Amino acid sequence: MHTRTVRKKCGVLRMSIVLVVLLVILAVLCAVSAAVGSAGYTIVEILQRTFEEGSNPVKVIVLNLRLPRILLAVLIGASLSSSGALLQSVMRNPLADPGTIGVSAGAATAASTILLLIPGMTGSLPLFAFAGAALACFLIYSMAWKGGVDPTRIILSGVAINSVLGAYTSLLQLLNSDSLSGVLAFMNGSLSGKSWYQFKTLAVYCIIGLILSFFCIKSANALQLGDEMAKSLGVKVNASRIFLSAVSAFLAASTVAVAGMIGFVGLVVPHIARLLVGSDYKAMLPVSIVLGADILLLADTIGRTIVPGMEIPVGIVMAVCGGPFFLYMLRKKGGNYGN
Amino acid sequence: MEIDACGLQVGYGDIIVVDEMDIHLHKGEITTIIGPNGSGKSTVLKALTRLLKYRKGSVYLNQKNLQKFESKELARCVGVLPQRHSAPPDFKVKDLVGYGRMPYQSWYKGNSAEDEKIIDWAMKATGVYEMREKSIQECSGGESQRVWIATVLAQQPDIMFLDEPTTYLDISHQLETMRLVKKLNRESGIGVVMVLHDLSQALEVSDRIVVIKDGKKYSEGKPEEVITQKMMWEVYHVECEIVWLKGRKAPLIAYKEIC
Ligand SMILES: Nc1ncnc2c1ncn2[C@@H]1O[C@H](COP(=O)(O)OP(=O)(O)OP(=O)(O)O)[C@@H](O)[C@H]1O
Ligand SMILES: [Mg+2]
Repeated sequence: MHTRTVRKKCGVLRMSIVLVVLLVILAVLCAVSAAVGSAGYTIVEILQRTFEEGSNPVKVIVLNLRLPRILLAVLIGASLSSSGALLQSVMRNPLADPGTIGVSAGAATAASTILLLIPGMTGSLPLFAFAGAALACFLIYSMAWKGGVDPTRIILSGVAINSVLGAYTSLLQLLNSDSLSGVLAFMNGSLSGKSWYQFKTLAVYCIIGLILSFFCIKSANALQLGDEMAKSLGVKVNASRIFLSAVSAFLAASTVAVAGMIGFVGLVVPHIARLLVGSDYKAMLPVSIVLGADILLLADTIGRTIVPGMEIPVGIVMAVCGGPFFLYMLRKKGGNYGN
Repeated sequence: MEIDACGLQVGYGDIIVVDEMDIHLHKGEITTIIGPNGSGKSTVLKALTRLLKYRKGSVYLNQKNLQKFESKELARCVGVLPQRHSAPPDFKVKDLVGYGRMPYQSWYKGNSAEDEKIIDWAMKATGVYEMREKSIQECSGGESQRVWIATVLAQQPDIMFLDEPTTYLDISHQLETMRLVKKLNRESGIGVVMVLHDLSQALEVSDRIVVIKDGKKYSEGKPEEVITQKMMWEVYHVECEIVWLKGRKAPLIAYKEIC
């Protein structure tokens, strides 16, 4: 009995250590990200002048430009990772990611349509995006359902839906070249020019979504044992699946509405989290959330500093780094379970 | 726990796999379902445990309609080991067995001291206690099979459904598992319904045997009454003799020589 409590504490300890390390990294990244940029001040200078009384240009840059962007990156990274982690359990496939299987594309489709039809709906844009993402989820299921979820069919139909919706958004672009920039923003996820206004919108939705995702831990774990086993353990499998998908779609859609489509976060981050703390969502979900914040902030900081005088959208940075990294992990670990 | 199923019809998509199935499971008995591959044994098991919807007929557990059960309520009465199961390979043995306690917990609660005790008991009963810190991928096929049985035991069901619990096991672990099932049945009065392919074992441990052929019930009754030369030929197309040895309670099946 005694050894068991000790061992149990070991598992919790491991997760806590990983979380603390990731949070420290996050704090460092925030400081670095606030300091680097086209204005070219040193970290010391930045820190000193930001906390000075009165107004000065450094303070304006940091508080009005960099800080909201940093916080947005943190929220978006956390949300996309959590969304991916939940999708992977629901779809019984570690390759599921809102970006690659069309959930984000659904959100982008709905959001860009609304934006073109009724400009100025930015406040409730996340809700429309959510409707689009939920619809995409539903489409994926109805195409892949065959008496149960088949992990391979899910991915295949997701990829198909992704390209159809991508084509639709491209068409919108062609037809509306005058209001192109708004639509284009959804295609390449970017945090460029985001301010406190976007942060406030996103914060509400993401925090609701992230809290809801913690309600999903037990059912996400049970779904990993397969539908039949989960059902025989008293889990309402269909209801859980709908709830988990909805939370996941909600999180992904909120980020899309504000920053456009950013792929691979929801794919790579839960994978690394699994390597760090295992597949148990009690540990894996919190670690994914913090790690996701780390990675997206890092990617955005790299994107806006690596080429002087030019900003590379964070979506592109993620795709360039995320794709190969994922392939590497796939080969190394072969970490597929289930079928 | 008594189970009464009447006129069950079960299928997948357009195909009907099981039809006109009447099954009556008595309290505290060991019932074994036998039949050739693809005859519908697993399908019947799934229908009786609500893993699969039946199209026609009715199932009653202790005179209560199966459809009227809450999910968790059902999971506390009925434990199921599906024929195919999988878990993330890094799940630890004791964690997996711990999932058996889910029907007793609300969504936010972890294991209580009571739960821990039951988990330990289930692992000891199935002989996996020593490997409780191992992960599933470090277990052999037979070991992981026993871990899954422990998971079902941790559910403390009144009746457990085991679909081919002895697959992957070597003969000594097969016999041990059968002994375990028998012991659990005798000592805690837990009802058992299982699918077996080894007819000699079925003969020995079962109180009742149900034979399924092409989705229909072929016969049902006491083991010696059901397993006969005629049944073996009509259901399996196998020639054999049923041999009674002195000093043994159950007869043996002597198959016709292979070549
Ligand atoms: N998910 C499914 N979808 C469609 N058909 C199925 C499905 N599962 C089983 N079947 C069909 O139903 C029939 C009965 O299958 P079942 O699994 O009940 O057989 P079984 O008696 O358990 O066989 P085995 O001894 O091989 O386990 C088979 O013909 C099979 O092809
Ligand atoms: Mg079967």
